[in-house]
Amino acid sequence: MQGIMCMLLLAAPTCLVAQTSEPVQTPPRTRHWNIGLTAGIDRNYHIVDMVYMTDMKFDKYRVGPVYGLHIGYAPLSWLSFNIGAVMIQKNYHMDHVFQYHSTRYSLPTTTTNDYINVPVEMKLSVGRTVKVHAFGGVYGGYWLRSHRKGVTYSFSNDRECHFDEDIEFSDKRDNRIDKGFTWGAGISGKIINCIELGVEVRWYYGIEDIQKPYMRNLNPRYNTTFAIQAGLNYWL
Amino acid sequence: MKRLNFFGILLIMVLCFVSCRKEPLDSFVNPNKFTCKTYLQQFEMVWQGMDQGYVFWDRDTVDWDARYDEYRPIFAAFDARPANNPVTINEYWNAYNGLFEGLLDHHLTGRFYAPKGLPRGQCEAWVSPGTNNYQHETNSTWERSKQLAILQKKAIPGTYFGYNPDDDYNIPGTYTCLIPGQNEGEMIAYFRFTNFYMLQMYTNYMIYGNQIPGYVTAQEPAKKFFGPRYFEGMTSEASYANNDSVIGIIFDLRGNGGGSVADLEPIIGSLTQSPTVVGYTRVKEGFGRLDYSAWSESVVGCPNQHLKTAKPIVVLADITSVSCAEIATMLIKSLPNGVFIGERTYGAIGGLYSGGSTNIYHDLFYNGCFGDYDYFKDGPDPYAGIFSYYIYTSTFHMVDKDFNDVEGIGVQPDIEVRYNSRRLDEGIDNQLDRAIRYIKTGR
Repeated sequence: MQGIMCMLLLAAPTCLVAQTSEPVQTPPRTRHWNIGLTAGIDRNYHIVDMVYMTDMKFDKYRVGPVYGLHIGYAPLSWLSFNIGAVMIQKNYHMDHVFQYHSTRYSLPTTTTNDYINVPVEMKLSVGRTVKVHAFGGVYGGYWLRSHRKGVTYSFSNDRECHFDEDIEFSDKRDNRIDKGFTWGAGISGKIINCIELGVEVRWYYGIEDIQKPYMRNLNPRYNTTFAIQAGLNYWL
Repeated sequence: MKRLNFFGILLIMVLCFVSCRKEPLDSFVNPNKFTCKTYLQQFEMVWQGMDQGYVFWDRDTVDWDARYDEYRPIFAAFDARPANNPVTINEYWNAYNGLFEGLLDHHLTGRFYAPKGLPRGQCEAWVSPGTNNYQHETNSTWERSKQLAILQKKAIPGTYFGYNPDDDYNIPGTYTCLIPGQNEGEMIAYFRFTNFYMLQMYTNYMIYGNQIPGYVTAQEPAKKFFGPRYFEGMTSEASYANNDSVIGIIFDLRGNGGGSVADLEPIIGSLTQSPTVVGYTRVKEGFGRLDYSAWSESVVGCPNQHLKTAKPIVVLADITSVSCAEIATMLIKSLPNGVFIGERTYGAIGGLYSGGSTNIYHDLFYNGCFGDYDYFKDGPDPYAGIFSYYIYTSTFHMVDKDFNDVEGIGVQPDIEVRYNSRRLDEGIDNQLDRAIRYIKTGR
């Protein structure tokens, strides 16, 4: 991944040199394909209804990094199709707060989840030098890693205990396949003919329960992730 | 226009996306708080409470969903019975016994009450699926009396002290003596407890003293033993155990039914020279059967007054050593100078919190015991018409220090010496004899 990013960054000045060496009168050729890099931050909303377990709260959100690359094809000036590969974290925070005897306990757990998402989307654009985009599509993904850090309670010692550990995936419980819908909007502008800079906001709306249907009374859990990204497109 | 259509389609898609997710189950209610009026409601609450709060689902081989499919129609049929054909207590017991059969938790006990059509005294079913699946029947009281009679003959005259347990007040039976060692002047210190409520009894005595007449007579032996005979006697400079003439210690937990983990530090911890990790515990953390908290260390502290030098310690335990007695056995076995002689223990290691007017512990951690504790404690009222229940099950899952599971398996002895009833009748305690031999010879 880092290697590809370096190649693209190195390719940008080459494009600049190539552009300045072209004859001035030559009409600009139409470019249909682009390849790009994006990076930003995301905020995940872990959707779970705790019903009567009211002391366990998932109401604090955690941000995480998001970065990736994409390839686009634009058959028309206002329409393009993109496919990408995005590394994204869908993190969440659970706080178990309770009163035990005269002591108020707070047992927070922050869970960090690394996913790779592959969005396929259609993008509609308006404008000339500065373009405004709206896009929507679907994505598939895979849950790569899970890590948790926090505080639990040692019953036998009547005290709090800290932990910081990778979570071993359970074949029975954990649904590592992710899928859903993605949509968002952005703005971009070409700084030179072949290089375009842009920013976008994007939602990933998961429709895949993060748990397999391993029990009758399964309480569903979903991720909805909001991302703000800046990107660079190289038009081929 | 085309672009407008595109945004319109996008909006419709977004609205459709929302409906792609499954809705949370609206049948989730707190099984610790629900009042049941029918057989079926009672079954649903018991099944659900176990489904969400049982801590061994990652290891248990029972197919709990299949049990639902199998037993739900049975309880539904109970409700449909006409008044002239009431459900008998045997049918009722069989249904719950079948539902719980084979579950791993060896603390698990279910009490169920059905007021419909059955007179008082015949409407309660009590099931306990954990089995004593070893090679002999047990009778702790009978075995203890035989073993203590043999012990007294081995004891150095004047060193035997014993207080029999008072079951009405959960007062432990406590026994100690010195046994001759290998060479002239050498001795072996022997301690035995029938349960682990020593600290609780001692603390209650110090707090309440003579204010609670019912407790005084029962607590007096505990105070005496816990004071001069153990707490000071064992660990002070002039104690049995710290006496240079004492070459080893036998800690007898046969027939010990468990008790409070608060006893572990002052009693078992005093045999160590530093805090000791005995195992790890975790609880459930959510509705999913496999939603668990992280493991947390279970450490037994070392009190200020403790054994100064690491002498050989033998823990004697058997199939009648249960719960806290098994944790104590695990701890002594894990010490470099500790060895476990006897039989495997019972296999009820998962600790639990039970009781209280609101069964508060369930609602703190959302697992473990649930139901109407007080309802049964005070005696169910058949005229209230409530199908009550109380499920006594482990609050936390415990493994040993190497993350090996012991629930339903028991702690395995380093040197297996099986209980021998015939030899006991002949005046020979083969397990005690093996322990003495180990202390004397190191083998």
